[in-house]
Amino acid sequence: MASVHESLYFNPMMTNGVVHANVFGIKDWVTPYKMALLVLLSELGRSGSQLGLLERRRLNRLLLPLLQGPDMPLSRLRKAIEESCPHLASSVHIRLKLMAEGELKDMEQFFDDLSDSFSGTEPEVHKTSVVGLFLRHMILAYNKLSFSQVYKLYTALQQYFQNDEKKSGIDENDMELTNTEEQEGKMEKEELDAPLSREEEISCSGPLSQKQAEYFLSQQASLLKNDETKALTPASLQKELNNLLKFNPDFAEAHYLSYLNSLRVQDVFSSTHSLLHYFDRLILTGAESKSNGDEGYGRSLRYAALNLAALHCRFGHYQQAELALQEAIRIAQESNDHVCLQHCLSWLYILEQKIFDSCVLLEHSVNKSLHFGLPYLASLGIQSLVQRRAFAGKAANKLMDALKDSDLLHWKHSLSELIDISIAQKTAIWRLYGRSTMALQQAQTLLSMNSLEAVNVGVQQNNTESFAVVLCHLAELHAEQGYFAAASEILKHLKERFPPNSQHAQLWMLFDQKIQFERAMNDGRYHIADSLVAGITALSSIEGVYRKAIVLKAQNQMSEAHKLLQKLLIHCQKIKNTEMVISVLLSIAELYWRSSCHTIALPVLLQALALSREYSLQYLASETVLNLAFSQLILGIPEQALNILHMAIEPVLAHGAVLDKGCAMFLVAKCQVASAASYAQQKKIEALESAILNLNEAKTYFAKVDCKEQLRDVLYFQARLFHTLGKTQERNKCAMLFRQLHQELPAHGVPLINAFK
Amino acid sequence: MAAAGLCGADFSDLREIKKQLLSVAARSRERGLQHSGKWASELAFALEPLPLSELPPPPALTEEDARDLDAYTLAKSYFDLKEYDRAAYFLRGCKSQKAYFLYMYSRYLSGEKKKDDETVDSLGPLEKGQVKNEALRELRVELSKKHKARELDGFGLYLYGVVLRKLDLVKEAIDVFVEAAHVLPLHWGAWLELCNLITDKEMLKFLSLPDTWMKEFFLAHIYTELQLIEEALQKYQSLIDAGFSKSTYIISQIAVAYHNIRDIDKALSIFNELRKQDPYRIENMDTFSNLLYVRSMKPELSYLAHNLCEIDKYRVETCCVIGNYYSLRSQHEKAALYFQRALKLNPRYLGAWTLMGHEYMEMKNTSAAIQAYRHAIEVNKRDYRAWYGLGQTYEILKMPFYCLYYYRRAHQLRPNDSRMLVALGECYEKLNQLVEAKKCYWRAYAVGDVEKMALVKLAKLHEQLNESEQAAQCYIKYIQDIYSCGEIVEHLEVSTAFRYLAQYYFKCKLWDEASACAQKCCAFNDTREEGKALLRQILQLRNQGETSSTEIAAPFFLPASLSANSTPTRRVSPLNLSSVTP
Repeated sequence: MASVHESLYFNPMMTNGVVHANVFGIKDWVTPYKMALLVLLSELGRSGSQLGLLERRRLNRLLLPLLQGPDMPLSRLRKAIEESCPHLASSVHIRLKLMAEGELKDMEQFFDDLSDSFSGTEPEVHKTSVVGLFLRHMILAYNKLSFSQVYKLYTALQQYFQNDEKKSGIDENDMELTNTEEQEGKMEKEELDAPLSREEEISCSGPLSQKQAEYFLSQQASLLKNDETKALTPASLQKELNNLLKFNPDFAEAHYLSYLNSLRVQDVFSSTHSLLHYFDRLILTGAESKSNGDEGYGRSLRYAALNLAALHCRFGHYQQAELALQEAIRIAQESNDHVCLQHCLSWLYILEQKIFDSCVLLEHSVNKSLHFGLPYLASLGIQSLVQRRAFAGKAANKLMDALKDSDLLHWKHSLSELIDISIAQKTAIWRLYGRSTMALQQAQTLLSMNSLEAVNVGVQQNNTESFAVVLCHLAELHAEQGYFAAASEILKHLKERFPPNSQHAQLWMLFDQKIQFERAMNDGRYHIADSLVAGITALSSIEGVYRKAIVLKAQNQMSEAHKLLQKLLIHCQKIKNTEMVISVLLSIAELYWRSSCHTIALPVLLQALALSREYSLQYLASETVLNLAFSQLILGIPEQALNILHMAIEPVLAHGAVLDKGCAMFLVAKCQVASAASYAQQKKIEALESAILNLNEAKTYFAKVDCKEQLRDVLYFQARLFHTLGKTQERNKCAMLFRQLHQELPAHGVPLINAFK
Repeated sequence: MAAAGLCGADFSDLREIKKQLLSVAARSRERGLQHSGKWASELAFALEPLPLSELPPPPALTEEDARDLDAYTLAKSYFDLKEYDRAAYFLRGCKSQKAYFLYMYSRYLSGEKKKDDETVDSLGPLEKGQVKNEALRELRVELSKKHKARELDGFGLYLYGVVLRKLDLVKEAIDVFVEAAHVLPLHWGAWLELCNLITDKEMLKFLSLPDTWMKEFFLAHIYTELQLIEEALQKYQSLIDAGFSKSTYIISQIAVAYHNIRDIDKALSIFNELRKQDPYRIENMDTFSNLLYVRSMKPELSYLAHNLCEIDKYRVETCCVIGNYYSLRSQHEKAALYFQRALKLNPRYLGAWTLMGHEYMEMKNTSAAIQAYRHAIEVNKRDYRAWYGLGQTYEILKMPFYCLYYYRRAHQLRPNDSRMLVALGECYEKLNQLVEAKKCYWRAYAVGDVEKMALVKLAKLHEQLNESEQAAQCYIKYIQDIYSCGEIVEHLEVSTAFRYLAQYYFKCKLWDEASACAQKCCAFNDTREEGKALLRQILQLRNQGETSSTEIAAPFFLPASLSANSTPTRRVSPLNLSSVTP
């Protein structure tokens, strides 16, 4: 059989059962690319004095990335040198050519000469400089090579050079990963390539050097975190990783990236597999690095369990996650690892939040994290604490204070990611409080901020969740103000930045549908609104039910709407979603007064008012006041209604949506007219005229959002007023406009005057 | 050549078979395929000798053969001396099939040898994985040209398949091996390669294999590989019946099969038989030593180890046996050393990785153990012992949740092995997931518990959950199990079972049963006092009961008494664990 030869195999890297990937503890190996660099350095030393100042500076700036970066093909290296100094590039090329086309002894001679640069009374290179260290590393690595390794290196150099020669004819533009093929180019002889099948080509796309692999992994990982769309597609990334692992099974980090990649496609099986494999590997490498204070692999064990918990949590296996977390906590406690414990605590909080909400754990976590100097964890804790507190109706000034404090922390440690999150959070909180201008301002702040991250200096923004949130809010704010074109523009942008299958796409999908829904409702196209409900429900069930009730209400199916709203109310009270509770209460009150039961509506409205005041949800509060005023108007106390309207009108005009502004002005006019009934003639005329002015304002607002029904009502009312004032011409004009609109729209179920909305 | 063998499983003409075997052995040897030659000769040896008149004539020489004869003879001697490049050099340009094969094969082996040599001086750790047989691609191109032109004979096809397999082109390799088996069914190497590439029963079904008597050997072999032991044993039995009863190959395969289903006694006796017939055999002796190890037969193992060491101490199997020997003597460092040596001799020798993992476990060197197991898994993903070992390692590190994954993997690979199920159950128990734990234990019992601990554990769980009726049932079954085995093993838990049962019957006021159990209790040291106390109480209560004479009917239905041999009534439910099994 063919396996006879296998007995010849001997693995020198194994001692005591552990295979050491790195036998001599040296990360640097002489590669052809490194030799090209050495040639460059020696040329620099030889002709350095003749170079101009500018050229020398450019070269010095070039050197560091060259020394630290991944291996690159000769053509690229030459181009890089040419850009700073064309003369030097050609001399490097000539020397390499001489060496590659010469004999082995040329290379040996070259290395012998290298160490000369240190000698002499005034050496060209200082021993401890960056270049000096590199040179010494290389000389050391070269000296450690065995005879056959030296020969291999020489053939590799020849290949490196020949590949460049061959390639110089061919256009080269795709360089990122494909360039590695060239390094093992010998077998790429043309006549061999002919019958290659596709599968084989993949398997032969060649190994990466250590640094290249590290660079590739870190780049992809950061892209996955910040901007998923720019990373490789899951399939091709997996292919690359498999390739990497095939040639270098000890490269544990690749397993972790593969875990992240599987998470992207929600593949629980392969992600678990990769995660565990990664930690199995890590335990080995961890055992060696006892020097850095941690007690070997115990550390990775804890984090292994913790990561497993995170994985299960992400896939919604909360029970499993809890078990894994318990394990992590137990091990961390046993080994007194407070830092790990803090991480566990924050995860515990996240898990608990899924089951029942309590802030105690979180507060504890924030305190402890600050104590152990974990700013990231601490401010993440503060963020979620603020979020919870905001929902729980805690004093706004304290929350803002807390956010400010955490911002201080962020800027101090330049946690750019958290800065983004914090601003997005503020936008959301301002919107919750009904301060659209502040929200707008915060959103714009984030969008016009430059990224602090060094990885992508050129890129202005990342595609993270915070940006998605802020953009969604921006779209909705614009839609509220009637700038639908702008809103749809923003949504289009969102669609491009977060394609439908990416992580944060659900956000904009929901907002998109909500905006469409509002538009359809304003236009009175209820069937369209109804068709959108299903989509909204899929993304957020509570929102969906609420919208369904609204559609039912608009279609005059009162009892069904009422039933639905009651159910929703109970549910929302249970999960403590106050914002929704108030909205539902308002809708219920509206149902009551639509059925002319104003007296029943009043207590509901008062409840809503109390709630919104308590949670300082100003926007909802003013809306409640409007409803309340309307009820009072109908109950025959317009003076009282006017009084409380004065209270609400200011915030509505300042922060409210255009539609609400219109409604408010309309209501004011109505109240004015109603209270004017008891006035003297002169005063009455004045009041009516001011009411007409208010109606005009309302009209412009309604026209902005294209609300024909309301427009029609306003026109009717205005016509009546003009009629009372005896202004026939104006009256006729309004009446004509009314007539036009009335023909367009279906008949209204509710008496015109009675409707407030 | 006597190409097509006999049809189907027709073993009526053993003489013909013997002739074929002898001729193919010679042809294999001519081409340097030692192992196939050895296999054929071994099998031929098991058959009746042929009279002189019927001996197969040496393969006829063709014109081409004659032309290449000198080059071939020279190259073959170089080849035998492992000077592959030299052999290939003198064979270039040879046209005859035999010489061409030897030419290609030398090039292949030379590439492989260089690959192994180069691994030692690679230019860096990253290059380690990228060392490959440089000759493979060239060989593939040339062979595929020949293959297209249909110029390859059975041996050539075999080599082409090997090249494809080495290039990880598994699908193409399988096709070529099947073709090779059709062209030259007698060449065992092609069949064996096929065995390594087929991973499950489904794949096997879709192969169109030549219908010869060799197919029977192949099927038996692959059934053993795929853990379909019943089928494999059947096949081997029919082969023996057909007249191969003396074949050491078949005997060893049967022993291995018994080993796989953990029928230790049968396997041991067969191995002993094998040692008698073939005392200098080294193959399969590692399996034999595993069996001796499991049975803790120190003297036998020691004898075997010394014997093998005398025969050849630089064989993988020998190292493995010695490792097992040291392990049994609790000299784990030495054991690990020998397993390492085995791995140095052949890094693809899977068993040693796992065994080394076990040794490191014994030495409490968990990280080395994890590495060893991971290596084993890398070599063969289906190695359930390595998965199981990883699970155990993490269990030792007190991570019961973490090790669930590994046990599940092991369980997937051996769904009917009770050890994995018991291990899973224990983990669930530690995690306080008692429902899952119960399922595991019950299942473990249902698939045939090797260690007989599942029932006790199940009973204790029921006890914990206050499900006294089920607990009692489990104990009853456990006792039945123990006693029906015949051998009275020192089982600690028997006394616990009797004690519980006694208490249980006592509570149910079934005095007869209770006193019977209590009396049994008295036979054990740790429960004697309790048993006596209970007996006294029973006596007391009985006397009272007779006076009051109001016998309360037993509240539960109980499975008769202990003597009844009722089989478990609960049906084996599918193991439906609620957790995901990634």
